[in-house]
Amino acid sequence: MKFRKVLLNKKRVVIKIGTSTLSYENGRINFQRIEKLADVLSALRRKGLEVVLVTSGAIGVGAARIGMTQRPKELNRKQALAAIGQAELMKMYQKFFDENNQLVAQVLLTKDVVEIPQRNQNAKRTLTRLMEMGIIPIVNENDTIATYEIEFGDNDTLSAIVAALVEADMLIILSDIDGLYSADPRIETSAEIIHSVFKITPELEQLASGTGSSFSTGGMVTKIAAAKICQQAGLDCIITNGSEPSVIFDVLEGKKIGTHFVGGHQTIVNNI
Amino acid sequence: MKKNKRSYRIVVRIEISTLINRDGRINRKKMDKLAMVLSNLNNSGKEIMVVSSGAIVLGSEKLKHSSVPGSKIDMQVLAAVGQAELIRSYQHFFDEYGQIVAQVLVTSDIVEYPSRVENARNTFDMLLSMNIIPIINENDPISTTDIELDDNYPLALKVANIAKADLIIIKSEINGNYTVVQGNGNKIITVDNEMRLQETIEELNDLAQAGRSASDVIFPSSLEKMGLR
Repeated sequence: MKFRKVLLNKKRVVIKIGTSTLSYENGRINFQRIEKLADVLSALRRKGLEVVLVTSGAIGVGAARIGMTQRPKELNRKQALAAIGQAELMKMYQKFFDENNQLVAQVLLTKDVVEIPQRNQNAKRTLTRLMEMGIIPIVNENDTIATYEIEFGDNDTLSAIVAALVEADMLIILSDIDGLYSADPRIETSAEIIHSVFKITPELEQLASGTGSSFSTGGMVTKIAAAKICQQAGLDCIITNGSEPSVIFDVLEGKKIGTHFVGGHQTIVNNI
Repeated sequence: MKKNKRSYRIVVRIEISTLINRDGRINRKKMDKLAMVLSNLNNSGKEIMVVSSGAIVLGSEKLKHSSVPGSKIDMQVLAAVGQAELIRSYQHFFDEYGQIVAQVLVTSDIVEYPSRVENARNTFDMLLSMNIIPIINENDPISTTDIELDDNYPLALKVANIAKADLIIIKSEINGNYTVVQGNGNKIITVDNEMRLQETIEELNDLAQAGRSASDVIFPSSLEKMGLR
């Protein structure tokens, strides 16, 4: 519990929201949730925190826009839907942030932002200046020209890279799962959420990959990978259920919610 | 949805200065006209792509800056705010005509990355086959090269090249005229209104379908205007 206290004075926070949190199971957009998210993030800004939002969802929104019910498998179709959906997604965010008088900006990144130092500095400078001006940058992968799902792999990784890039204090990953469990909660009733992780061990990665079970299909593996990037950069990472976006307030108040991957404490013995 | 013949593919280069008022706000009437003409061309079976500037200007307006600042970082910040505004405006006006648009952001050095070029081309092909108009803008917020304020003609040429476009249409910022240029950059004709533009494109399209090139056709008045006769 005491390690949650480190979350009380966070100044620069990256929030990542996934497709499953932005939309209903049928793939259509959950406007109410996006509205609440915009309200929460705008409130954080008013409190003086610097906020970056990393969002997924362009392909799903694009599919919904043209009345497609199945998510396509072909790369070029996904890229086309991402181009349609990115525009729609930004429109929605702008609308809900406008209602809070909160300015937003759009920043689409490709992997070379990480690989090419000059790009890296550029992106960092732009994102930092936006935050200093009180604007919330909304970041996504530039799927249209990137080789989708090959460059960053997924937006969990992207969000961790962005958090490290802008030297954020913490990353909050909002997901449809409550956190990392000690076992598959759907199979073992005794399974419990692991609230604090000090070191990501091979055993832990094994647990997340859920060998012999299927509870990792929600994407816990990529979230652990993101948490690992954060730990290496010395920043805290929280993975929690985002169905109620006000959970962000609770996390920042140090409440015991989700799984906290403690940053900058690698030497402490893993006591899970 | 599969088309028998390859559709006539047109890149339309828009400078935002042709579409905004002096106060920096979008001129709704002009924007509406543009959306109508392009939606109509798309309906007639042409494939339309828009290369548009304007992110920095609209970002400046959104942030209530009285003038466009000169430093690169300032322009990148304005571009990040403004490109969201820009695509929102296009969506709004195209929506009136039931026309779906998509947003594609590319950096000017895209041509140095073969895989990015291929990805962009595949995306354009797919969008156009779905009758969607891609709105293409320079990804200035992460650009490492110099930001040329509102000069997106080089980008329009690159996009035309990537997408193997037949024509480029350039709307003049001075008088609003439309100049029609071949995919290779050679000028064909300048027209001063949307109706004439549509007619010209139809003529060129018919020629192309008949296997003839634009250079076979004579537009005496325009050649005179361009000082070629």
